Order: sequence, then structure tokens, then C-alpha cells
Amino acid sequence: MSEYVGRAREGVAATLGFLAGFDYYWRKIGHAFVTLISVTTITFALFRLMPGNPAQAMRAQFESQLEGSGQAADPEVLDQMVQVHTGFDPSQPIYMQYFEYVRDIVLYQDFGQSIQYGDPVFDILFRAMPWSVFISVYGLALGYSTNILLGAAMAYKEGSRFDGTMTVVATFLNSIPYYVGALLFLAFFAHDLGWFPSGGRYDTSIEAGLNPAFMASIVHHGALPIMSSFIVGFGGGALAMRGNSVRILGADYLRVARLRGIGSVRIATRYVARNAILPLYTQMMIGIAAVFSSSVVLEYIFTYPGVGWYTFDAINMRDYPLLMGSFLFFTIVTLIGILLAEFTYGIVDPRAGSGGENESY
Amino acid sequence: MTRSLSDHEIRGDPESILEVSDLDVTFDMDRGESKVLDGVSFEVHRDEMLGIVGESGSGKSMFASALLNAVVDPGRASGEVIYDDPDAGPVDVLSLSEDQLESFRWEEVAMVFQGAMSSFNPTMKIDEHFEETIQAHGEPMDDRMAHARELLSNLYLDPDRVLGSYPHELSGGMKQRALIALSLVLDPEVLVMDEPTAALDLLMQRSIMNLLDNLQEEYDLTIVFITHDLPLVAGLADRLAVMYAFEFVEYGPSEEVIRDAAHPYTRALLKSVPSVDAALEDMNPIEGESPDPVDTPAGCSYHPRCPLADEQCVAEDPDYHDVGEDRGAACFHWERSSEAVEYKLGVDPVVPDEPSRAVRGDEETVVSLEDLEVHFDQSGFIDRLFDQDATVRAVDGVDLEIAENEVVALVGESGCGKTTLGKTAIGLQEPTAGTVRYRGHDVWEAKRGEGEIDHDRIRRALQIVHQDPGSSLNPTRTVRTSLAAPLKRWRSDLNSSDRETVVHNLLERVGMKPAEDYALRFPHQLSGGEKQRVVLLRALLMSPDLILADEAVSALDVSLRVEMMELMLSLQELFDTSYLFISHDFANARYLAEESGGRIGIMYLGNVVEIGPAEEIIHDPKHPYTKVLRWATPPLDPDAAQEARETEPPIREIDIPDPTDPPSGCPFHTRCPEAREVCREREPELTASEGEASLAACFREDEDHAYWESEPIVEGSSGENAS
Amino acid sequence: MSPTDESSTDGGVQLSDDQLFGQLADSDSVELSGRERLARILDAYVLAPGRVAWNDWRTRLGILIIALFVLAGTVGPRVIEAPATNQAPTNHPPFEGGFGAITEDGGWIDLVQISVGSVSLPWLSFEFPLGADNYGSPIGRQLVHATPDMLEMVVAGAIVSVGFATIIGVTAGYKGGRTDSFLMYITDIVMTMPGLPLVIVIAAIYPPRQAWLVGVILAIDAWPGLARALRSQVLTLREESYVEASRTMGLPSRTILSRDVIPQLMPYVLINAAQAGRKVIFESVALYFLGVLPFTTANWGIMMDTAYSEAFALVDLGNFYQLLWPMSAIVIISFGFILFSQGMDRVFNPRIRARHTKKVGGGDEQPPTE
Repeated sequence: MSEYVGRAREGVAATLGFLAGFDYYWRKIGHAFVTLISVTTITFALFRLMPGNPAQAMRAQFESQLEGSGQAADPEVLDQMVQVHTGFDPSQPIYMQYFEYVRDIVLYQDFGQSIQYGDPVFDILFRAMPWSVFISVYGLALGYSTNILLGAAMAYKEGSRFDGTMTVVATFLNSIPYYVGALLFLAFFAHDLGWFPSGGRYDTSIEAGLNPAFMASIVHHGALPIMSSFIVGFGGGALAMRGNSVRILGADYLRVARLRGIGSVRIATRYVARNAILPLYTQMMIGIAAVFSSSVVLEYIFTYPGVGWYTFDAINMRDYPLLMGSFLFFTIVTLIGILLAEFTYGIVDPRAGSGGENESY
Repeated sequence: MTRSLSDHEIRGDPESILEVSDLDVTFDMDRGESKVLDGVSFEVHRDEMLGIVGESGSGKSMFASALLNAVVDPGRASGEVIYDDPDAGPVDVLSLSEDQLESFRWEEVAMVFQGAMSSFNPTMKIDEHFEETIQAHGEPMDDRMAHARELLSNLYLDPDRVLGSYPHELSGGMKQRALIALSLVLDPEVLVMDEPTAALDLLMQRSIMNLLDNLQEEYDLTIVFITHDLPLVAGLADRLAVMYAFEFVEYGPSEEVIRDAAHPYTRALLKSVPSVDAALEDMNPIEGESPDPVDTPAGCSYHPRCPLADEQCVAEDPDYHDVGEDRGAACFHWERSSEAVEYKLGVDPVVPDEPSRAVRGDEETVVSLEDLEVHFDQSGFIDRLFDQDATVRAVDGVDLEIAENEVVALVGESGCGKTTLGKTAIGLQEPTAGTVRYRGHDVWEAKRGEGEIDHDRIRRALQIVHQDPGSSLNPTRTVRTSLAAPLKRWRSDLNSSDRETVVHNLLERVGMKPAEDYALRFPHQLSGGEKQRVVLLRALLMSPDLILADEAVSALDVSLRVEMMELMLSLQELFDTSYLFISHDFANARYLAEESGGRIGIMYLGNVVEIGPAEEIIHDPKHPYTKVLRWATPPLDPDAAQEARETEPPIREIDIPDPTDPPSGCPFHTRCPEAREVCREREPELTASEGEASLAACFREDEDHAYWESEPIVEGSSGENAS
Repeated sequence: MSPTDESSTDGGVQLSDDQLFGQLADSDSVELSGRERLARILDAYVLAPGRVAWNDWRTRLGILIIALFVLAGTVGPRVIEAPATNQAPTNHPPFEGGFGAITEDGGWIDLVQISVGSVSLPWLSFEFPLGADNYGSPIGRQLVHATPDMLEMVVAGAIVSVGFATIIGVTAGYKGGRTDSFLMYITDIVMTMPGLPLVIVIAAIYPPRQAWLVGVILAIDAWPGLARALRSQVLTLREESYVEASRTMGLPSRTILSRDVIPQLMPYVLINAAQAGRKVIFESVALYFLGVLPFTTANWGIMMDTAYSEAFALVDLGNFYQLLWPMSAIVIISFGFILFSQGMDRVFNPRIRARHTKKVGGGDEQPPTE
């Protein structure tokens, strides 16, 4: 009897554990959703609520356009034009406008319509997004793997001349902004030496598709932006990795593992690297936001038409729907990246989700 | 200093398995070369349990590391450590190559460290630790894993559960036992254990020691057990070796060393250790301080503290003198040591006829607790959804009164709620039910401003001394500023010169001289004992009525504890205060409570299960749990120790039940050897039996209770609550 | 002698003088002169940290770099003539004439005689050593005259972001409970927002015209990381025994925060202030370079923009120096900030500081015997 009770109890506990596991993921998803709504609210507020806001500016713009073409500026027509581009009707009460704006974005992915291109903002940005993600993800991955390797090497040789020199080098590299790196790369590798193209996503003369020449062209064009994006995550990370590794090299469990005769390869990977990377992993989640942020400047410098380039274009052209849309787009891509990182963090660190998940940053 | 055992003839010794000669370990430091092992020569016998005892900083851990040629950088070991391999013959461990060392360690000599909490990789399951070890040594996986399972179940662990867990999912005691199993998985000849139980509760320590005893017999092990806690090994070890100032000062068969130690240091150490069976007046601290490894005294390193010291001791370093069969002492005057330092073992002091102070009841009550409950709700959202109760009942219905100038010691395992009870008693933790009164005023009403008494006055009357001296002082403040803070807050009439005078005066009084120097030090420049004195002074400067001393001496070396407790008692008289002393160590609680005529309370899972005058609780425990704790506190007297070693542990389960799901009825019934069916259903109240001053919460105290008709709980059927 | 009698009636009596001063040993009462106290405070708070900082060449270099830029930002504009177009030939190259220019007339550096009173002294005169831009505006003068605005921006940004982070982080950590959850929720949201695009959107809609306002806008996304770090620090500190002891002594929260909590946080705060300063420089230069911000303040980013889009410095590498100078200024000052923040970590470590405090004897760290 008591055995049965015990088993039943175990079963319940297992189910609870299972659901509690999901609790962690659901909370993360819920959190991302709230962030999205908050950002949407902020964009709406910037759009509509502040004095001299873009909606008024656009209205004035359309008014002068219409007047310029000799038409009478009918307020209703103007409101309609604003609605076409922004997704909300200025003649309605504010809360209705807000509701419609959020509904359009969340349910219909309707970000409004670009003024200068006349296309839906979502379509423009969705086409551009893979290119931004391509640059950012490769830059981030490259930056963090270098950090990890370099930091681990420095920790392994702690106190040596290599360590001392690399600490100063990493500190110095850390003080170079990515756009300075980008400008230097562009000046020397593209303009002076001519090794890489100075702009564009691929060679337009090559037929687009899954052919090697086209792929090579993509890599060729992406190399410099990726290298610059790599600088974003580099430097500080290596020093952090060094600090973590030094700490773990001094940990009791490492000493015990050495005494147990565990091979140095396994110690380096399963013990030092694994445990030293954990804090870096959470840091990377913040890094995702930074890397996507940097793409505005990088894509401008390299004339690389991704989401960042459209953002810059929208500022220049005062294309507010496109500008707001691209900000939302950045937010969504960043949120997805962070969610992915958080979900996989549960696999990397067995302690995640068992209390203290508020500390995940 | 060179000294080797070959000078000293060994007669009829069993074969030695490890032979250490002229072993030095040195560290280069800014202040000079630091010699943390100084020409040590020693032998470890096959199949013995060798206890190595020494204060912290005596170099005993270095000795352990050197046995495996595992001295941490930048330390250097020189000399010889000969391991007599039963298959391959003798090898010098210190001259083995890296590859040879890799197979030597763990296959021949394995080691268990103090920090079991951090000896496992936090991102690997326990079974991976076993598997990688077996793999690294190229042993057959299935056989060895089966051996690992056997070891784990011998250590009272559930192999499936432990192997499938991550380290953070196991309790400290479980991790420690898993670590022992891990160290034995390759069947080593020698197991070196460096303070393996220091971080654990006494009961757990004692249980592990008993298990070690069994393991040694079952697997033909040689065990080298290193500790600062003399009573812990005294009863179990075959031989004892005492370390002082980076060398062994005395060695010999355990019983003989304990009964009649030859070296004055060993004798002083035996005197200074709080124990449950020695007479209180026989416990005395050792005068002076252990030497610095950079600047060890010339001649006999103990001479500055030794009552027998003469010119010869200052000029010459003594060799081992033959004290008896297989016994040696590095002292010129060992024959006179028994007169110079006297000690007695296991003398049961006569229980005084006069009723102790605690029962007299003529002092006013300072703090009273009534039906106190402190529950912590730990259930998350999902738990609540499924109505799963995850409340920790830290304190579950406790009544307690503390009178003026009284000492009440609370004893229990970690997690029994004694610290929570203490913090609630001094108004730091709000109870979930029941009341805390200070001189009749409800503390929490006063805090809300509803009482008649100003809360400030209560706040100042109830103070605390924490366990960890390392974190109880602000690391960025000097001793002077830390001590001046209470004066600044409460004695605004004093100017800064007055405060300085007070600080200097009190520092001198607790023996921290020169006070001008100590006053300007930062906490990290003080030793643990010195920090604890500053903390005690800081609390006393508030002029409190009650001080909660939360494991106040547990972090100190055993030999320093009596001194600290003496200081607490002498300052108690000066400052007129009561102590609520919390400890997991029966011996400490006994010393403080018995010396001051106070009471001891025993806590288990949030309940006080027995409380009464110290003498009665120590010498006539009634509750089965008190008996367990009493059993877990090792006696120094070899006869008593032998007896304790032979008795089965009076407990059925080593591990404490899950505090979120405490057993029904009597909370102790899951582990109690006397438990009967009725204990599952009904919870006993604290009752006094005739002619006794102490109260115990056990049905066995009532001779007419239904308990005596009830069926005993059969072993194994209590599985539902086993953790 | 002892206050037992009173304490049994009302309790909580102050310590008698006998308890405090009784049994005075050989040292009688201690007299502290005001000067001694001042010297002690000076030593503890100024000289000891100063010695620690100066002892490490990296911190020393960091302090020197920052001091140089502060000097350039305060004294610089008074000493060096304001830049204007056509002061120099357009695209005037730097160091024209190379080293030989020292002896020849009309190069970037000349030996001249200046008269102080009646005495005539040899002096160096510089003639556009760093060259001039597309409009003939000397680059050296532009760099110096942009520094005050840059510093204003950095200081405003650092104060706002660090101040905001400290308030949020310490409040969340010390108060705990719902306040904590709420504040951290907001912090997480801001942290996951892509910072630069947000700043761009805000700047595009409401262009900031003052340097300090640019700093404040850039601080919007600079605080969450520090706030989180401070919160978890405070959470740990709150549980420290010595904080609990202070609470038990009845010290007010204000005192506990300023005595026991804040000093432990200072390293984080200062390090992050330096990091925030670096971030403000990075981002402001990027935004001016993109041309998102109005050119109403002087900024090295504007110089880069001019070099990039007017002088085509990337294509025409002969003009690359016009980009190189402002870029070097950015790299050097941020290098200084990083070195400084690394050094602060040492300054706040009591173990290191104690070695540099006077009058503390004995008992330094023990050797690793265990």
C-alpha cells in the first residue's frame, strides 16, 4: 500500500517537475511578449502622443504635397493618408488608435506603409532582415569564439609574458569602436588594396541562386562587415573569460579532477571551458542587442542594405513609418535571439530554472 | 633540521606502506621563504587508521598533499616519500613522472578533501564523475560501476538517486559520502582524508566516521585521517600523530597517546579541547600563539609556550625520544611533562546537589517566546496551482523563557530551525504565529509603534554574534571604526577621544595588545579568534540584555574554543548579559552552559524536544534524539570511546527528513530506534518526569502511556518519509 | 557598579563609565588632536587610494590620459585659437615638411623667439601640425575645441546612467519583494531593447541641441546592466552578517546603506561610470557621423562625417589623416577610461589598500599552510 502511495507521489512529483520546467520557458516567453508590447507602446507614444510628433509632421507633409499638386487639403483625406501609412486613424480617440496599432502589429504584422517606397514596411524589412542577421550572427559567433579561446589561453598561461601582453592588447582592442575598425578595413582592404568590395550584399552581375559563385560573392561582400561586427563583441569578453577561467582553474573540483587522473583535454573542455563559458553565455544575451544595434552604423558604412541601412535611409528621408517599423523589427529580432539563448541556457547549465532564474542576466 | 626514523629503532612494527623522510615543503613569499613542512620523517603502517591532529596552520594539509605529490603551486616539496607498492615494490612518489603519478594517484593512494561541496564539477552528474575516473585509468567500466554502487549503498545512499543527480541536488552529507565512494572506486591501498567532515554536523561526522571504520575492514584500507578535532579521531584511529609548527611532535598508539601524552603540547592540546566527558575545570586554553612559518622559533618550536622550556630547548631542536613501544615524542623533558601539564580523562563530575541557577527562577525574564511559529512559504506558482504545500516549518510551536544573566544553549543538526528561533528571539525575524516578548512587551507591536515601550530600547537590548568571523565585520572598516559605531549611536555624550580610549581599553582587556596597532587594522589582518573577539565587543558595547551567539565558536580551531567561551563568560559578568548560544556541537554547548549553570535545549525539525539544566541533559539524556546527539559527541576517554565505537548508532536514518514535508506525529519517529506505531499518529508534549528539572517531548517519559502497548515500527516500513 | 538594578526595572541602560573605562591598563586615556584625526582621514580616503592607483602603471596611464583630455577640455580652448574655415589651405597635410620642418621656415613646426618682458626666449611655434580639413579648418584646433562639449556629454551621460542605475539597483536590492520584481521587470525590458536604434528614433524625432542632452539621451540604454549588477550585489550584502549586525545595533537604514553597502558598491559604480563614459563617446560619435544629430555642438564625429562625405577620406587615402585624428582621439580616451576603471578595482580592494596605509603593523596575509 505504502509502496503504491510512494509511486503515485513520485509520479505527481515528476509531472510537477515537468510542468515547472515549462514554467521557466513560459515565463521567458511571457516576458518577451510583455517587452514587445512595451516597445510597441513606446513607439506609439513617440509617434502620436508627444507634441510635434511624426504623425503631425506627416500630416503637414501630406498637406503641403497636396497643396503643391493643387488639391484642396481635406482633413478627412489627410487623416486617411496618415492611416494608410501608420495604421491608425488620427480622427479616432487615442485609445482606439493605440488598440488598432498594437493589434495590427501583433496579429497582422502590419507595420504601416513606407512613404518613399510605397510598399508595406514589413515586406521591405523582412526582405532585408536575413542580411542583417547574417552579418550579426557571424560577427557575434566569431567574436565570442575568439574571446573564449583567447581568454582560456591567457588563463592557462596566467602571469606569463603572453598573458600580460594579451591583456593589454585586449584592453586596447576593447577601446576601438567597431565603426573605427570598419572605416580602417574599408580604407585599406577595400579602397587601397582592393581585396574586398566597398559595398553591397553581393555581386549583382552574378545570377542569384544556390550556385557557388553567388555564395562566394555573398561571403566576399560580407567579410568586412562581419569582421567589423566581430569587434563589437571582442576584447572585454576575452578578459572576462580569462577571469572566469582563472577562477575555475583554482577551484577545488579542478584539483580533485587532476588528482583523479582525468586527461588534460577533458579538463580543459568539460571542466574549465564549460564552467567558464556559463557567465559569458548570459553576457552574450545582452551582446545580441548590442550587435543588432551596431548594424545601423555598419550597414551605413558598408552600404549593405539590411535593416540597419533602411533605418538610416528612413531617417534621411523622414520616412517615419519605416523608421518606427525598423525599430520594432530590431526589437523582435533581438527578443527572438535572447529567447533562443535563454532556452538553450537551460541545457548548458543544469542549475538554471531551479531557483534564482532572476539572476539569468 | 634532519631527523629520520632510521635513527630510532623500530621493533616489531607492521610493514609500513608509506615512508616519509626529510620532507620539506616551502613557499616563496614576499616576506621570505615560508617553510610549511620542516624535515618531517614518518611512517604510515599498512591497514591502519592513522589520525593526524594539529591546529590550523600547523602544516598538516601540506603533509597530506605531499603524500600524493600534490602540493599546490608555488609550493615545492623535497625529501622522500616512499610508497611500498604491494605488487611492484617501493617507489619514491616525489620523483615519479607525470604519467606515473597519474596512475599512482587514485589507484594506489586516493584523497578526500574538506570541501566536498566544491569537489564535484557543478555541471556534471555524479555518475559522470565516476565514469570518467574509471575511464581515465583504463579500468573495466561495468565492474567498477557495480563497485561504485556497492560503495554508495554501503554508505547508506541510494545509488540510483545519487548517480543520477547533479551536485547541487544533494545535501552536504550526501556529497561527502559520494566523494568517499568516488575516492574508493579504484580500490586504492591508502585513503588520505583532509578534514573530510569539518563542514558537517557532528551527527553526520560521527556517522561517516563509523562508516569509515566499516569500510576500512571491508576493503583492507589504510586511512590517513587529518583533522584539528582531536576527540573525533581519538576513539577510531589506531595510531595518532600530533603536528605542531610544521613537524610531528608526538606519535604513538592512539590509546596510549590519549591516556598519557608525552609531549607538553599534546598534553596542553588535550586539556584545551572541549569535550563532553572531561571535568570543566580541566579544560584550559593553550597560552600563546602558533608560530609563523616564515619565522619559526629556533630550537624546539614549542619552547615559547612550554612550561618546561629551558636553555637546551632554545638552543637545540629535540629529536624523537623513545617514549614506549612504537611511541616517540620530540621533547627533551618528556618524562617531566606529566607533572608540568596535568589532565584527567573522562572524569564524570559529580552532579551538584544544589539546584542550578536556571531552576532557581529568581532572576527576571528578559525574553519570552510563546507558542512561536516561523514558517517560510517556498511554494512557487505551479506548486500553488496543484495545491502542493512547500512550507518550511523552521520553528513549529516553541515556548522558551530566558532569564537575566542566564545562558541557554540550543543544540541541533543544521536545518533544525535553531538559527531561525534565535533570530526570532532577538527580533530580527518576524514570527508567523506566537509572540516574542522583551520584559513583557511584545517586540513586534513595539516595532509597529503600538507598544508601550520604545522599539529602540528593545533593539539595543538584543544583540547578535554571528558564526562566520570572516563576514561579521565590514571589510572596509578598521577595528576602531567598527567598534566606535555602537558608541556613536548610543553614547552621544562621548567625544572621539573618549571613544578611542574605550576602544583601546576594551581591546587590551580581551588580550589584543598593543591596542593602538589592533585598532587600526582591517578585518583581513586579524585571525579568526581576534575577529570574533571584536564582534563580541561590538555587541557588548550596546549594553545588551541578551546576545544571540549563533555558532559563535564553531568556525574556530578546537583548541581556541575554550578560550573564546571563557572570554564570553568573563565578559558576561562584566556587562551583565544573557546568552542564547546556538551550536551543533554538544561539547561546546555543554562547556558554556555547564560552566555558567545554564540550560541546554535540544531542537529537532522546528521543535524543542528536550530542555533542562546542562548537567542533566549531558549526563542523563532522556529523549532518544538527545541520546543520539550525545552518542555523536565523541568522548576523549579511551574506554568510553571504545564503548561508543562498539555500540551501534542509536539512529535508523542518517539523513534528516525533508523539512517541507515533516513526518506526522512525533517528528523524530522516522529515525528513532524506539519509535512505535503511536509515535506516527500523536505528537508528544514537553513533560517532566518526577524529580527531574528537565523536560522531554517523548512518550517514554510517561510510564502509563499508550506507547508501551503500541507495536514497534518495523525497520524499512518507514520508507515513505525517507529522503 | 553595574546597572543591574535599573536594568531589571526598565532595561536598556547605557553602559556605565566603569564598564567602558574601568581597569585602564598602562595606556591611560587617549587624546586625539584634531590634526591627527584629519591626517588619519586624509590618509585613509585620499593618500592610500592615491598610492594604490599610482603604484600600477596601467592605472597611472589611465589617469594621465583622462587628465590630458580634461586639460584639453578646460584650458585648451582658452590657449588654442578657435578653428574657422580657410585658416589653413584646404586639405593641408599634417606634419608638412617632416622632421626637416624644424629647421626650415614655414613648416608645421618652427623655432621662434618670443619676448617675455625684455628677455627674448626661444620658443616653438606650430603651424597646423595635424593638417586641415576640406574647408581649411585646422584639425588640431577642431579636436581641442570639440573636447569641452564631449566632456560635457560624457559627464552628463555617466552621471545620469550611473545615478539611475544606482537608484534602481540599490532600491530593488534593499527593498526586495514586489518593488524588486517590478523594477527588475522594467530593467529587463530596457535591457532587451536594441539601444542604438531607440536612441536614433528618439534623436530623429526630437533632435537634441545641447551636448549634455545628447549625453542624457545616450544614457537611456546604458543603465540596465549596472542596475542588475548592483541589485545582486546589494542582495548579497544585505544578507552579510555585518549588515545584519548593524541592523541589530539599531543603526538607521541610511547609515547602514552609506556605511556598509555603498562602499562595497563603489568599485562597480566607478568602473561603470568609466564604461558609461566610453559608451557615450562611442555612440555620440557614431550618431554625429551618421548625421542623425544636429550639428549644433562640436564633436569628433562631425569631423569624421566631414572627412568621410566631403573629403572622401576613404577613397582618397591622401586625406585619410582627416579621419585618423578624430578616430585616434576616440580610441585613446576610451583606452584611458578602461585602464582607469580597471585600476579602480584595485583601489577599492581593502587588502591592497591596507598595504599602502600608514601605521598599520603586523599580521598581513598568512601563507597558505592549509
